[in-house]
Amino acid sequence: MSNYDAIVVGGGINGLIAGAVLGRKGKKVCIIEKAGSFGGMASYAVDGGPSLAHALYNLSPLALKDTGIDADHATLTGQQIDTVSLSSDGNHIAFKEGRVYWNDGTEHPQSQAWRELTHRLKTYGGLLRQLAEAPPPGGHSASLSRARFAEMLRLAKLGVGLKKLGKTEMRRFLQVVLSNVYDIVLDDLPDGPVAGMLAADAIRGAATGPRSPGTVFNLIYRLGHGGTITRPAGGMTAVVDALVEAARAAGCTMLHETEVSRILVDEDAVTGVLTADGQTLNAPMVLSNVASPLTCKLTGPSVFDIETTRRIRNIRARGTAAKVNLRLKDASPLPGLKDELKGARLIYAPSAAYVETAFNPAKYREMSKAPVIEAIRTELPDGSHWLSAIVQYAPSDIEGGWTQSALDQLTQLTIDTLDRAVPGLRDHIVGTQTITPDQIQAATGAPGGHWHHAEMSLDQLLTLRPSNGTSRYAFGPKGLFLCGAATHPGGDVMGLAGRNAALTALEALK
Amino acid sequence: MTLESRYDAIVVGAGHNGLTAAAYMARAGMNVLVVEKNDWIGGAAVSRSLHDGWTYSNCSYVCSLLRREIARDLDLPKYGLQVIPYEGGASFTRDGDHFAYYSDHNALRREMARHSARDADAYRAYSQAIMRQCRFIRPFLLRDAPDPASLRPRDLGELAYLVKKAHGLGSRELGETLKFWTMSIGDFLDEHFENDLIKAHLAGSGIIGTGLGVYSPGTAYVLLHHYMGDIDGGIGAWGFARGGMGAISNAIAASFKDHGGTIHTGAGVEKILSKDGRVQGVALEDGKVFYAPVVASNMDIKRTIQHHVDTDDLPQDFTKAVNNFKIRGSSAKLNISLDQFPDFPAAPEHTSFLRGDMHVSESLFELERAYDDWKDGRWSEKPYIDMLIPSQIDPTMAPTGAHMMTVFVQYAPYDLNIDGNRSADNWTDAQRNAMAETVLNQISVACPDIRDRVVHMEVRSPLEIEREVGLTEGNIFQGELTFDQLFFNRPVPGWSQYSLPIKGLYLCGSSAHPGGGVMGAPGANAARAILRHETRHGRMKGYAA
Amino acid sequence: MSNFVDPKLGLIPGPFHTKLAEQNRARSWYDWAGYAAPGILDSMEFEYFALRNQSSLFDISPMHKYRLAGPDAVEMLNRLVTRDVRKIKKGRVGYAVWCDEEGYVIDDGTLFHLADDDWRLCCQEPMLTWLHDGAWGFDVAIKDETHDIASLSLQGPTSFAVLEAAGLDIAHLKPFDMIQVEPDLMISRTGFTGDLGYELWCDWGKAEALWDRIWQAGTHQGLRAIGYEAVNIARIEAGFLTAGVDFQPVHATERLHRGQTPFELGLGWLVHFDKGHFNGRRALLSKQHTPRSLLIRCDVEGFKPAQGALIYNGRKREVGHITSGIWSPTAKKNIALAHVRMPDAQRASKLKTEIYTLEEGKWDTRMARLTPVTDAFFAPLRARATPPART
Repeated sequence: MSNYDAIVVGGGINGLIAGAVLGRKGKKVCIIEKAGSFGGMASYAVDGGPSLAHALYNLSPLALKDTGIDADHATLTGQQIDTVSLSSDGNHIAFKEGRVYWNDGTEHPQSQAWRELTHRLKTYGGLLRQLAEAPPPGGHSASLSRARFAEMLRLAKLGVGLKKLGKTEMRRFLQVVLSNVYDIVLDDLPDGPVAGMLAADAIRGAATGPRSPGTVFNLIYRLGHGGTITRPAGGMTAVVDALVEAARAAGCTMLHETEVSRILVDEDAVTGVLTADGQTLNAPMVLSNVASPLTCKLTGPSVFDIETTRRIRNIRARGTAAKVNLRLKDASPLPGLKDELKGARLIYAPSAAYVETAFNPAKYREMSKAPVIEAIRTELPDGSHWLSAIVQYAPSDIEGGWTQSALDQLTQLTIDTLDRAVPGLRDHIVGTQTITPDQIQAATGAPGGHWHHAEMSLDQLLTLRPSNGTSRYAFGPKGLFLCGAATHPGGDVMGLAGRNAALTALEALK
Repeated sequence: MTLESRYDAIVVGAGHNGLTAAAYMARAGMNVLVVEKNDWIGGAAVSRSLHDGWTYSNCSYVCSLLRREIARDLDLPKYGLQVIPYEGGASFTRDGDHFAYYSDHNALRREMARHSARDADAYRAYSQAIMRQCRFIRPFLLRDAPDPASLRPRDLGELAYLVKKAHGLGSRELGETLKFWTMSIGDFLDEHFENDLIKAHLAGSGIIGTGLGVYSPGTAYVLLHHYMGDIDGGIGAWGFARGGMGAISNAIAASFKDHGGTIHTGAGVEKILSKDGRVQGVALEDGKVFYAPVVASNMDIKRTIQHHVDTDDLPQDFTKAVNNFKIRGSSAKLNISLDQFPDFPAAPEHTSFLRGDMHVSESLFELERAYDDWKDGRWSEKPYIDMLIPSQIDPTMAPTGAHMMTVFVQYAPYDLNIDGNRSADNWTDAQRNAMAETVLNQISVACPDIRDRVVHMEVRSPLEIEREVGLTEGNIFQGELTFDQLFFNRPVPGWSQYSLPIKGLYLCGSSAHPGGGVMGAPGANAARAILRHETRHGRMKGYAA
Repeated sequence: MSNFVDPKLGLIPGPFHTKLAEQNRARSWYDWAGYAAPGILDSMEFEYFALRNQSSLFDISPMHKYRLAGPDAVEMLNRLVTRDVRKIKKGRVGYAVWCDEEGYVIDDGTLFHLADDDWRLCCQEPMLTWLHDGAWGFDVAIKDETHDIASLSLQGPTSFAVLEAAGLDIAHLKPFDMIQVEPDLMISRTGFTGDLGYELWCDWGKAEALWDRIWQAGTHQGLRAIGYEAVNIARIEAGFLTAGVDFQPVHATERLHRGQTPFELGLGWLVHFDKGHFNGRRALLSKQHTPRSLLIRCDVEGFKPAQGALIYNGRKREVGHITSGIWSPTAKKNIALAHVRMPDAQRASKLKTEIYTLEEGKWDTRMARLTPVTDAFFAPLRARATPPART
């Protein structure tokens, strides 16, 4: 029997950060991971292939700071990558340093409009980041408490930030943030690969199409940390290693290949966890990085109110993003892509309308016949070359299930689609891996294999994330907290959910 | 010949909102002129006889949203308005079954239980949630939407009212409210019910008139928009205006004229005149010019700004916002004269629910696919239809023994897609007829003999609705009811309180808060704003609205 | 227009309808969950006296009945209701209330512990969705038996004698005991009258046979079929609450903040905080000592029933209202159940109620003093005696 101040169930990004934050505050912490290695969904990989996540764009400097990791850590700074919106006519469009270029290097006519639009969204993102860096507003804390005061201060700061925008821009912000990305983008840009790229970024990992109201928020969320996309040095595994190292340095006990079979509750307070191999670990505080329905199974439903479990069941989490890893024969450049863009993030989304059409089948539990793709080229430590592609839409609950033939079809569609824009790519491919959301769910426990464990729609954000009444991390019995991507502000290898949860837990159990 | 005349205020467009604004102003002692391009009044709240002996509610066809405060303030029953609630409704299926929505709650529960015992029980929680939202929103309809960027006492006051109401909900209910307002009707129904047919029946109100699908976030609000009315206090009840929807406009017009108002029909406004940023009056297409220091436009914001005022003098961000205002045609309408009551083989003989709204959609997926068709510029292969036979209740609509059927159709695009070319010009007679055939096929799911019953039929695509009524793209709400176009964002940020950047020019139609439907609230609210800004006494004294 | 008739509209007959219709000389039917239920069969007054003096038969089949069976039934029920159901032994019946997450009462009802892991919940409000929600994550099967099980309430001093005459041996049944006396008949010593009485449960299809059997047995015991109005007087005398009248079932309210905690309803004794978590426990812990109002029983000055009257503290300040008020023919008192705001409810000496009277075309009001009482207005010893008396 071992005694801790806190136990973190699930060693994904948010679990590691939550553990490290608590450890650095002097708590004796144990982080328990079911799998053989830490990192959860971010570093999940099959047969030595590329990890699920393949780039950083939203990792919170604040979360890193509270974890004790230098933001200039060599792994994290890595290498900035540009974006290319692929075009079937070979005239690809490159986005670099805030401008848009044709393949031949001349500036694209939509460059200015794109720049202004993204600039505006980044400004909004900066404002909303203030909300992301704390529990969502609207807590129950007594009116004179410190936490309440801090919340008022934060909201006041946000108000001042809004005010600074000026009246017109403030009003526009309140409109745009509620709007759909299709309309907002096409108000300023004609439909085409530039608009398509923005639409694709807005729906990545989500079960929604660009015409759905609220999708601008997703785009703003992505741009909340400036929008720079980084390929971490050493890949996502190195990022996870850095976090594991930070957790160890903070004094955390790290258990892997250990499954928690029960979160123990007595007298409406957590007392610890029971592992599958029969160990009892005691702690007055348990932070669960697994989604709320699974957490609920670990405690048993009795410790929650019926309304809570009903809301948990109604959380929408349909994963729609599959991972298709294409193994390349060697380091040779892909046809039609300039050398300087060799490592770029490739987007296949020829128009916003294309993205919307791709979404249609997903609504009816079918895969897109013309999918939206984000692909990044990576070289793994073993010297293998891959094109790591995120392919949408491939819904977790596909009609008839993800049979081998469905998997093959998805792989083929991915290759066909990319080959249309990069003719000859097919000849570079020597192997494939296709990982569908249901596999991701089976391997990581993420509901529906969803990136954020819960859809990032307006009705599941802020005080409604993951559900009404559980948004401030505390979950049922005293000492139990959620700290995963399904909580505010969400997932995306960001780390704020874990960090906020840890700080909230500390405050609550003081 | 130019006839010149001077008024205190001119209202452009004799729709129900324009007339409402005019009637309030006239009662406050202003000398008001209403100008209307058609030879008749009413806008989309109109009754016309296109085939001898039958009367159509050509556009809007049922009534619930008309604020009771307005009916009382303007004394509408005295001027002939009689609203009769209708009972129930039904959804018919292709396999010959139906789901009947009885107004009797016991019968409804038993009928629901016939399809799903759990849904019959769940309906209680569902209606409780909807009713709570109705109760929350109703007080806001006849108030101004506060400008969140303003520090004026009025705005702060309205904002404080909003915060007070929200706070009064308590944290749990506030969360439920925020969720309801931002979610899709499909998700909301999925949370409550298991039966496809019941869900499809209830979902219709979430998409009527809007360019969104049942699974688009925000459609739960659209449903609320259709539930927040009442008849004699029965929240969510719908009814017919005796004599068709034109009876509403006619009553408001009569109330207006009785207080000294003038209506000029048959000539549309060519231009809203302004000088040095101040409105002067209007010039009509027939060459007449009328002068007034106040002009209230019942036209939608796009038509008003893009076609009838000098945009040179307007702030650029305003005109840009107006240009980006989303006002998409998504609905069509069939009005049918029937020689006798059609046969509904699936319905029990002499049932009451045929007097209500009837549909033939069987699942949420079917409704969502109907939306996908529209996104691509086609009318839905299996459109959602909202079909009623008001002549069962209102004896004035058709000759004795004969009947009138009104069929609302969702979705039909304005810019019809023919081989990749999307244009309203594609709405040829042939296309219109083809759409009518699609709709008749849908109707025949409920009444197979429909084609034999038709004596006359009026088919209105979004283009006809635009041409006749003047609604841009045929959008029945004068602008989408999405979050980014509601409340302080309606019609565009910064201009949600009825005044427009030209001094003395106001918006009094459904483009303004709180939006569309035969509600009268935008008209009443606009009149209140006008009286406050433009007259010395400044108040709509003694009126509830 | 044609004359519309719809087979699905209107009230539907319950399992005893033929029998009740034969006796329903008053032709007074009311809507009980969609069933035609008798308000009065011939005379409310004499039906009431039959209940208190001989015995009475009242159809309670429209009550909602749910079967909860499975290995987790006890755990699931213990999370659902506020009392500790582990203390309701097999063969026993328990009165229970259950709350929402904010601690407001959803409904009250009786729990029948039929067998190991096998329970029946009997209540006024439909509860299927709530039970399914509450059963998520538990190994419990839920079945709505509302329309499968018919039930009769046999109440009054001679009710034991009636059953005896019917050949049913239930002398040993203590209050809140139940027994499967015959394969098709379960009897529980329960009721809604505060008197000696039993409730009989059988298959819907066997209802009429049961009626006939009891009816025949009651020939020499003064048995009388009664309607709800007589029952209502008896239940107020016993101090029992009616959903929708004395409290607002929170799931049935459209308006916000209409809910009441068990503490506010005087049902705090049904809340067992020491049994682990149950629905609304956290909210109730914080609310138990701060009721906003109390449901009190009171004796009303004068003879005029005070149903619906407002209550004042001193002259002007309105502090509550009467939810149920009648003249009690047995206690010979003018009695009432009332909601009174805190803290006025605890300083009851100054409470007065304003009763409107209409006497042959003349409206008037009178102020009547309220005297709170702690116990039931009528609680005869015969209700608890085992074996019970025959008269």
